[in-house]
Amino acid sequence: MQPPYFEYHNPVKILCGENALDRIPSEFYRLAAARPMLLTDAVLQKLGMSEPLLKILKAEGCPPVCSFADIPVDSSLSVVNRIAALYRENNCDSLLALGGGSVIDTAKGVHLVLSGNTDDILSLSGMENMQRGKHIPFIVIPTTAGTGSECTGVAVIRNESQEVKMEFLSPFVAPDAAVLDPRMTLRLPPRATASTGMDALCHAIEAYSCLQKNPLSDAHASAAIRLIAQHLIPAVENGANTTHRLCMALAATLAGIAFSNSMVGAVHAIGHALGGICHLPHADVMSVLLPHVMRFNLPKASQHYAELLPMLVGWEKAASTPNEERAKAVIHCVEDITARLHGLCGLPVRLRDMQAQRNDFPRVAQTAINDGALIVNPASLSAEQVEQILHQAY
Amino acid sequence: MKRTLKKIYLAAALRLVHAAICELPKLDKKAGEECLSLPAGISYAISTGYKAPTLFVQWDGSKLRRLREEPQQRCCKLFIKTLADAFILLTGRMSLAHLYARHGLIVAGEIADVMRLARLVNLAECYLFPPFITRRILPELPRLQASPLRLYARIFLGFLTNRY
Repeated sequence: MQPPYFEYHNPVKILCGENALDRIPSEFYRLAAARPMLLTDAVLQKLGMSEPLLKILKAEGCPPVCSFADIPVDSSLSVVNRIAALYRENNCDSLLALGGGSVIDTAKGVHLVLSGNTDDILSLSGMENMQRGKHIPFIVIPTTAGTGSECTGVAVIRNESQEVKMEFLSPFVAPDAAVLDPRMTLRLPPRATASTGMDALCHAIEAYSCLQKNPLSDAHASAAIRLIAQHLIPAVENGANTTHRLCMALAATLAGIAFSNSMVGAVHAIGHALGGICHLPHADVMSVLLPHVMRFNLPKASQHYAELLPMLVGWEKAASTPNEERAKAVIHCVEDITARLHGLCGLPVRLRDMQAQRNDFPRVAQTAINDGALIVNPASLSAEQVEQILHQAY
Repeated sequence: MKRTLKKIYLAAALRLVHAAICELPKLDKKAGEECLSLPAGISYAISTGYKAPTLFVQWDGSKLRRLREEPQQRCCKLFIKTLADAFILLTGRMSLAHLYARHGLIVAGEIADVMRLARLVNLAECYLFPPFITRRILPELPRLQASPLRLYARIFLGFLTNRY
């Protein structure tokens, strides 16, 4: 059904396909930038993932003026403020982020601080409250296929003092360009391929079923789900196949565009709280929680879930499933994908597999009900209901 | 003229919602718990549009006090983008969640603080509006722990004694 009113925004230019990395210098030229700051993490640097990029930038006359390669897995507000100070010290004129969700979200935070001309990102917290600031050319290169952060108007950054993950929502958070080069995800281990792929699936399903959904976000979400259903397991089985890698990277981006325009829901609200308090990996948590939250939402979102069955199993199989069973079939399908990935690479299927502690659940539930993602979940949740879901997923 | 009438209604409705949130903790345990979860000293500015009625309130640890002007300390600002949306919201035809979903809200401050207030407003709506209205706008109706008439009576007395 058409919503009475909706908004759609996707300002990111997507460079997708073979040798997409080679086009970054021309993008910097287009954006009138020549002194980029490179943001990445220590693991990627150790693996030499930034080497081909540095070679290209050097050859084209725009090597990074400085780099920051110590972005931790769950980056924090203080890291963002530190990087922004470094950027100013070195008189850089643009940002280049190479990494997964944490690196990209940190870079978005830095971008916010710099364009908002502030020293503290906390002063910018809110929803749609930021004005367009100074333009800082900003390019991202995702090295995982899951977060979709390369195309979203949200940055999720941990607030260390409050032990919560904070969301900074603004269309001006998004980068100027996202580079999807299959070379960047070729070396992603099967386990990480599986969990990040499930993260993308979660984005797409939540985007398709939440209150802020709209026809344009639906189109992106359903395209993402179709690609994930076709390419996630093959990408885990055969990581060297560039077609599967590229399709997964594209699926993650499509899911990112979808949820950037329709938000996510309870899986993310609970997941952010689990990440903030128990320090569990975001993508794994999404994968474990997704079927449990879908089951909880089923009475309110059954029609939306049912519509997703053809994307997951194909039109023929979907047509042979009675209409009233389609929504449940979608949940079974998600569980089946998770179980197969568990068998292939050990993707966790329960919270206890990730060393979550039951005694943390009351605190997680209290934090989750204050997460902004919960406001658009199709069903409302109390702290007690969140705890119930956590125990079911344990 | 129509716009002026809407503004008058909105100013009254904001006062009513504020009064309801002040009285609810005395009637509903859940509302009491929600109020106690508000960070002490936090204030909210709820604006119904450009040059439109705005409510400033501050939680002093025991009561949600109404303020005459925008507070300087920790303030969570909720700005409804259009007067029409504010009118739809405060006539019980749309929930805060739906207003957010249609990009009708600008928030400056911590989103967690907005969520705390949103739960209180939802609960207040359940008392202030009859169920046939709230059932349409809220995904779930909580069990009311007191009669809405008791709340209205308390609010009426509160206004008479200048409690808000």
